[in-house]
Amino acid sequence: MRKNSRVTQLLLLGILLFFGSFLIVPLLVLSAGSWQSGWQTGLAQYGAVLSDKNIMLAIRNSLKISAAAALLTTGLAFGLAYTVHCTNIPGKLKKAIHLGIILPMLLPTITYGFAIIYSFGKQGLLTKLFGYELLSIYGFNGLLTGYVIYTLPPAFLLINNAFSYVDKKFIIVSQLMGDSFWRSFVNTVLRPLLGTIGSAFVLAFILCFTDFGIPASLGGTYNVIATELYQVMLGTIPDFQTGSVIALLMLVPAVFAVLFLNHLEKFNFHYEGFRSTALPVNKLRDRVCGILSLALVGVVAAVFAVMFVAPAVKNYPYDMSFTLQFIEKALASRMLLEVYENSLLVALASAAAGTILSYSAAVVNVRTGFSKQTKASLDLLAMIANTVPGMVLGLAYLLSFNGSSLKGTFTLIICCNIIHFFTTPYLMAKNSLAKLNPAWETTGELMGDTWAQTMVRVIIPNSLATIVEMFSYYFINAMVTISAIIFLVTAKTAVVTSKIKELQHFASFNEIFVLSILILMTNVAVKLLSDFWYQKLATR
Amino acid sequence: MLELRNVCKKFDNKIVLDNMNLEIRNGEIVSMLGPSGSGKSTLLNIILGLIPMDSGQLLFEGQDISRVSMKDRGFNIVFQDYALFPNLNAYGNIAYGLKNQTRGFSKAELEELIDFLELRPHLSKRIDQLSGGQKQRVALARTLATKPKILLLDEPLSALDGVIKETIKTRIKAIAARYNLTTIIVTHDPEEALTMSNRVLIIDQGHISQYGTPAQVIHTPANPFVEQFILKQLEIKRDNIYHLFQKCHA
Repeated sequence: MRKNSRVTQLLLLGILLFFGSFLIVPLLVLSAGSWQSGWQTGLAQYGAVLSDKNIMLAIRNSLKISAAAALLTTGLAFGLAYTVHCTNIPGKLKKAIHLGIILPMLLPTITYGFAIIYSFGKQGLLTKLFGYELLSIYGFNGLLTGYVIYTLPPAFLLINNAFSYVDKKFIIVSQLMGDSFWRSFVNTVLRPLLGTIGSAFVLAFILCFTDFGIPASLGGTYNVIATELYQVMLGTIPDFQTGSVIALLMLVPAVFAVLFLNHLEKFNFHYEGFRSTALPVNKLRDRVCGILSLALVGVVAAVFAVMFVAPAVKNYPYDMSFTLQFIEKALASRMLLEVYENSLLVALASAAAGTILSYSAAVVNVRTGFSKQTKASLDLLAMIANTVPGMVLGLAYLLSFNGSSLKGTFTLIICCNIIHFFTTPYLMAKNSLAKLNPAWETTGELMGDTWAQTMVRVIIPNSLATIVEMFSYYFINAMVTISAIIFLVTAKTAVVTSKIKELQHFASFNEIFVLSILILMTNVAVKLLSDFWYQKLATR
Repeated sequence: MLELRNVCKKFDNKIVLDNMNLEIRNGEIVSMLGPSGSGKSTLLNIILGLIPMDSGQLLFEGQDISRVSMKDRGFNIVFQDYALFPNLNAYGNIAYGLKNQTRGFSKAELEELIDFLELRPHLSKRIDQLSGGQKQRVALARTLATKPKILLLDEPLSALDGVIKETIKTRIKAIAARYNLTTIIVTHDPEEALTMSNRVLIIDQGHISQYGTPAQVIHTPANPFVEQFILKQLEIKRDNIYHLFQKCHA
């Protein structure tokens, strides 16, 4: 293996320093926080938390609701992916299902709650349409609905992606061998996807377990661990030590989930290279899957439709005559525009710096001659970043940087976003860089380039499509996150999602929806732009 | 002249090159021939400077270059898959190294090389618009434009077929003659090695089985490996062709 240049060594050092400062140290401080009054008091604190009825009830509730939501989500996501990959419904419908189901990803989770209230509540849009309340939204049912809508897009994307690597030829072979529909389904579809289905369940479970936005708006009296942590930390009497203990308890299922995900890897199938195959004709299958999937997309769309309707009528739901006064008023409000500008600034800076960091880490991992151990340590940092829930990371920052000049700054929020969303862009870059010709650096060097010159002249231009995708991922997530930043924002650094949380107390739903629409529009624009550039660059 | 003295290389305690001694004269085309895992690619990478040897010496024009970095050795390689940069067109690839090289081709020399390799109609094409043979020539031009002291070719014909293969063979010989360029080729195909080279180095499990001219290899194989593995392949190929032509004429 070739010697690493000074530049790569500096790059690695910079990455490790950043992770040390903004991931490892804060987690250590958080952990130390739970023991701050000494070993025995610390133990007693853990004991007190574990014997606190409210906290234990919140943990049980979290486990129960997360498991139920994850189960439901996984089933629905599988059904949708099956419709997209294993039926002969028109391609345009498949595209509509795909787009419709991932659209909620472009909105903050706290908006989901309000959209659900305005759809299924006593005066909700869907309640009016059906003439009766479909479900009681506060508590378990509301949370379940919110969590399913929230986790459906990532679970669908995961299974959908795995489906594209399943060789559908085997469905034909199985049928030719005389298998019944179920035997064929189990052997050629379900079994190859078992690992991914398990992963989708774990992913959905963890997302539900650690989310703050949905219970913040819909939880009602049904306490979950995220709201408990918020209460403890930002309630009338903040209790940092109990907060640290709860935060560390939140980490436990996440750690198990990561271990379980690694275990699930071995269930994955790897087919030899294959070509796409026509699927056997089955009109009943196509109709049932098509109708159910479109209905599901319709329900999700209907829930969010209220977001556009409510601020555009005089007095929802009593006076439904059209008016632009609320939208105009919200857009004329300097305060709301300021938080929107703050959100844009945070999202842009997080996306730019996050993309640079994750791309650099992937470059160090894939395109340099560092030892296996060094590369594994980068993977480990990525895994830790992925494991730590946003609220836990935010709390760790709150405790670590309380006395520093970083407290209450945009820089801290941006650093938190960079770490919180690091793993996915890092894996995207690793995957893309590993596919590039391994001889390019050698060729560049033989042509007289320094390592950095080859990066700039060859490697970066050939992975621009991925860089655009990474930037868009960071931007969109930084725009919608609330869990990671809720402990870090101040009046000066408030962003849209934290403002929505604040507006909730004043029941300013029109402003909440206008702000949500602003986020949605911004994210749709960024997504469309990035998809356009991705296609352009990828097919270059 | 390039000299290898007692070159040894191990990977994970497995000996890949065992005490290898070799001399390659200036302007010669030498093919390194051997089955997969024989050590020929490792030897090529050691000469290039991409990987270090465990022990031994590498001398070029009498100077010990064992510890000289790949960049400073002044050798260059055309990789098996060419490693062309897809973000640049054919000309961008050919001229890539000129920005950095002080001893590289002048503009006039580059134009002459482009014509020599018949690349002029393809200069503005993207890499994915080029055929296998055209890619090979672009990669050759890019490497030659840096005026390498030794040209290394890693399986240069493996991705090509039929007539193109023969054209490239002729072209490589012409390049070596035109620029008096020492050329080292790695191949696993005896026919390629024996028809392209001045001398052939046959490697088996990290050892030199035979090093000689094609005539010497054919007429006086040094050992059963050369006879069985190398010559037998050629005989089978020859017999098949004879048989085919006899059947056609019958």
